[in-house]
Amino acid sequence: MNRFIFKMAWRETRGAWRHFLYFFACIAIGVGALVGVSLFGAHMERAVTKEARGLLGGDLEIRLTRPLSLAGQAVLSSLGARDIVFTHVSELVAMAARPTPGSFMTQSTQIIELKAVESAYPLYGTIRLDSTQALDAQLHPDERRCGGRSCFGAVVQESLLIRMGLSVGERLKIGQAMFLITGIVRTEPDRMANAFTLGPRVMIAQEGLLAAELVKPGSRVRERYLVKTPPAMPLEPLLSELRDRLGADSARVTSYRTAQSQLKQFLEQLSRYLGLIGLTALFIGGLGVGTSIHAFLRDKLRTIATLKAVGADSTTVVSTYVVQAIFLGSIGSLAGILLGIALERGLPPLAAALFASDILDQLGVSSELSQSSIWPLLKGALLGLLSTLLFTLWPLLKIRDIHPGAIFRRDAEQSAVGLENAASRWWVRWGLTDGWNVGTAGVIIVGLCALSVWQAGSWSIGLLFIGATSLAITVLFVCAQAFVRGLALMPLPRVLSLRYALGNVVRPGSQATGIMVAIGIGVMVIVTVSLVEQALLSQIQDNRPADAPTFFFIDIQPDQAQEFVSLIDRQAEGAHPELTPLVRSRLHAIDGKIIKFDEAGEKDEKRTEGNEGRGKQWYFTREYVLTFLDRLPKDNTITKGEWWKPGQVFSTPQVSVEEDAAMHLGLTIGSIVEFDIQGATVSAEVSSIRKVEWGNFSTNFYMILSPGSIGGAPFTYVGTVRVSAAKEVPLQQAVVASFPNISAIHIGDVLDGFARVLDRLSLAIRAVALFCVVAGGLVMAAALAATRYRRLYESVILKALGATRSLIARAFAMEYVLLGAVAGLIGLSLGSILAWALVRYVFDLPWSIHPQVLGIGLFLTILLTLIVGFASTYRILGQRPLAVLRHE
Amino acid sequence: MITISHLTMRLAGGGHQITILDDVTLEIPDKQRVAIVGPSGSGKSTLLGLIAGLDRPTSGSITLDGVEISVMRESALARYRRDHIGYIFQSFHLIPTLTALENVLVPLELAGMRTAQDRATELLNTVGLGERLHHYPVQLSGGEQQRVAVARAFACHPPILLADEPTGNLDSATGQHVMQLLQSLHRDYGTTLVLVTHDHTIASSMERVISLRDGRIESDRLTDPAPRVAEPPL
Repeated sequence: MNRFIFKMAWRETRGAWRHFLYFFACIAIGVGALVGVSLFGAHMERAVTKEARGLLGGDLEIRLTRPLSLAGQAVLSSLGARDIVFTHVSELVAMAARPTPGSFMTQSTQIIELKAVESAYPLYGTIRLDSTQALDAQLHPDERRCGGRSCFGAVVQESLLIRMGLSVGERLKIGQAMFLITGIVRTEPDRMANAFTLGPRVMIAQEGLLAAELVKPGSRVRERYLVKTPPAMPLEPLLSELRDRLGADSARVTSYRTAQSQLKQFLEQLSRYLGLIGLTALFIGGLGVGTSIHAFLRDKLRTIATLKAVGADSTTVVSTYVVQAIFLGSIGSLAGILLGIALERGLPPLAAALFASDILDQLGVSSELSQSSIWPLLKGALLGLLSTLLFTLWPLLKIRDIHPGAIFRRDAEQSAVGLENAASRWWVRWGLTDGWNVGTAGVIIVGLCALSVWQAGSWSIGLLFIGATSLAITVLFVCAQAFVRGLALMPLPRVLSLRYALGNVVRPGSQATGIMVAIGIGVMVIVTVSLVEQALLSQIQDNRPADAPTFFFIDIQPDQAQEFVSLIDRQAEGAHPELTPLVRSRLHAIDGKIIKFDEAGEKDEKRTEGNEGRGKQWYFTREYVLTFLDRLPKDNTITKGEWWKPGQVFSTPQVSVEEDAAMHLGLTIGSIVEFDIQGATVSAEVSSIRKVEWGNFSTNFYMILSPGSIGGAPFTYVGTVRVSAAKEVPLQQAVVASFPNISAIHIGDVLDGFARVLDRLSLAIRAVALFCVVAGGLVMAAALAATRYRRLYESVILKALGATRSLIARAFAMEYVLLGAVAGLIGLSLGSILAWALVRYVFDLPWSIHPQVLGIGLFLTILLTLIVGFASTYRILGQRPLAVLRHE
Repeated sequence: MITISHLTMRLAGGGHQITILDDVTLEIPDKQRVAIVGPSGSGKSTLLGLIAGLDRPTSGSITLDGVEISVMRESALARYRRDHIGYIFQSFHLIPTLTALENVLVPLELAGMRTAQDRATELLNTVGLGERLHHYPVQLSGGEQQRVAVARAFACHPPILLADEPTGNLDSATGQHVMQLLQSLHRDYGTTLVLVTHDHTIASSMERVISLRDGRIESDRLTDPAPRVAEPPL
């Protein structure tokens, strides 16, 4: 019996390849999207694991926001006795200036991301430079290149040269020092995947940084000490020892494993969410698979009845076609794997754009298949096979209802395959009174949930995904059904082609509902992504408040404040510079309880970060930028307690805390917070809790102290200035010329940078979402193929009665336009609702309608249905009536 | 022995019930050759289909060699059909995606016969299609298709062979050839042969002729021992 099932399955498949083209394509497109995304994820992960030490720059990294104390330096020096090597790296934002004015097209000043290194850098990985000369030699050029004087070298990112109109061999002023541009840097091992940068990279030597005089008390600088241990040395004891011994410096010590896991987590989430879109494509394709099988069974009715008549029982016949479906699903999955491999080769350029850095080059990510590729390929194949099985089970169960007596009566065909008695209740029509059907329905539901949970890698996300998908399908189905029924109630139009088109949509057994659901889901996914992107873009580009500043000037020293304001007033009258004092700090204690940076907490935080955004631990261990202000900043509202009165003097400094921070830190009115400000401890009593509008393009703070609280602390000022576009460049140049240590951050450039990142992210998502639309198109093609014979028969009868080819073509066109328009409208509406919910409740942003997105969406959907429709049925138009009717 | 007792078959159609068979009772002893005749719509094919268990009667019973098939579950019925009944259709009903050989193989493989391939080849040789083993139904003439159907029906040596107008779609010469084939198989294997026909010559070549009209038995008579149709050269 078993041999019969396999033999029969093969015989049935052998002669019917063309029947199954859409079946293969539907599975292949879904599996392709999934395999492409997970292969990309796996290759990235492999590269990250391989380059883990290089990504951090060492086995351990010690990170501070101020220069290391002498005691701390002594701790590091003592490590040499244990053959531990370390190197010092400083990173900060600064301004670079041309010593001589450039051409009209180029900038004289430019914000840069400066990195100062020592000769031992890099400890791990390689730095890619344009010339073969070593980095250290380029940072310390010999005197001949400097015109007989000692000078400092700088290697820069090419974009700096383009923006400033400079070339290698020319000079660049940074802070108080002049640097010779000695080369171009392509990749750095320890420049982590930054989606966003403030400016091009410039690398200089530590001595050069000293000469530039940029690092002043309170300056915004990231001091990193990269540590390399002997191979046999266990890392954990050293990690704990350094955390303990450098505690007074508020240093953060991490191992390469932690850094690696953060990047991995990001990549994992990226590929997981892209994978869920891929799974949507697979599910949409599943609808096409179901349609293909349904049509196939309709053709096979007599064969099945004959098989039963010659002694095959239902189990044997059902098993035969299940085996056939699995076989076809395997071929489709195989094709999908090949498609996925091709997609994965196309993803790196997208990802490279996404990261806005050469991280892929830096990591040496390769698309070559290797051992790590096996699991994604296997997973894709399994997902393809399982979804084939789940989407074919229901139609295949109908085989049980095909009676051998169907051979004698044509009417039996209808009851057997789908056209159940319309008068009976829906659960009777759907066969839910039969135990087998109910059991199978249960298996299908559980199976689909399991596939989603598997792909999502989380119970909650997987179930949420399947719940949302089911809801979307149900709503689409109900809307499409309501439309078809409404159309059936309308009086028939007089125009023949339109009447024929409407007839095709409303007739019993029409595939219109299925087509509209499949196309609608694809449209919904892609429109949601586009609308969310538009909402975010308009938030950062168009919704900028009229009084938003043009520049943020950072690192203004207290002794420069007065002069800075005068300069701004001279350069740009009415610019109203606002200076806000800042000082960097960490939490030392809350209500007398000392806060310790503990590793367990950090791990907990990582777990929670993935699911719920910032974990509680983040609020305890982060750096707080403190300020002291007289007046409550704009867009801040007090929710508890009271803001201090102007000029009020307190015995204990008062602090106003942002409400989320207060909640996570467990702060209430009267709590005592102790801050560690550059080694000195300052206590403050919580006097108010504030709600902050973070998106208002102003300087916002978690903690604001009462005036006079930190008088002696090494604070700097941040200045906000609003000037007209014409005055932007002269102002920036004047500030850089007078105050080389002050960096000017142009808000427009920053927001443009965000917009670019957003655009790239959206592009990557849309690329995968496109698979959903293609899958929808394939479902439509499969559905049209299922009704091909009926269309052929009707069109030749119409021709025999005198209809022209163009009339039939017009009728088809109207039908496809109608299907596209309705599917598009439903998909657009659902997409808009989904996007609204995401924008309003997840991103917490105002919502507005974007008619251009909706209009383009509708137009493209109609175009898609027209193209797919005609591609599937154009051959019918050329058929001669007699040739077809002769076979009847 | 085929025992049919008070068999009634009604079908719903056009909003009301149509009685196809009305209280039919009859017995067919083993190895008998029986023709069922009657005008169109008299219920001949339905009676034959019910004997084969291809449909369920509205009431009454059908017992084959003491086994009541009218109460069997569908799977049991399919297995019973496989082992005990061969069925030939007027319009052949070969499976279009299978070759002639594979069509004959179906019942043999369903029965799990080890030598299915040899047996199917032998049967097709017997019906004169040794050269057409790997042809698809569409590549065969009507007569050839019906001979494949005969070979398929006879593949498992069923004790009962039912034929629904086996020559109805064939020209007279081909029809005669198919009838000779059936007669010789009956003679060689002692099969009970029940066939539905419109053709009086074929009916009179059977041992017994049952005539139906409006779903009832109009007459049931044994024929004179008339000369059989000339046997084919097997």
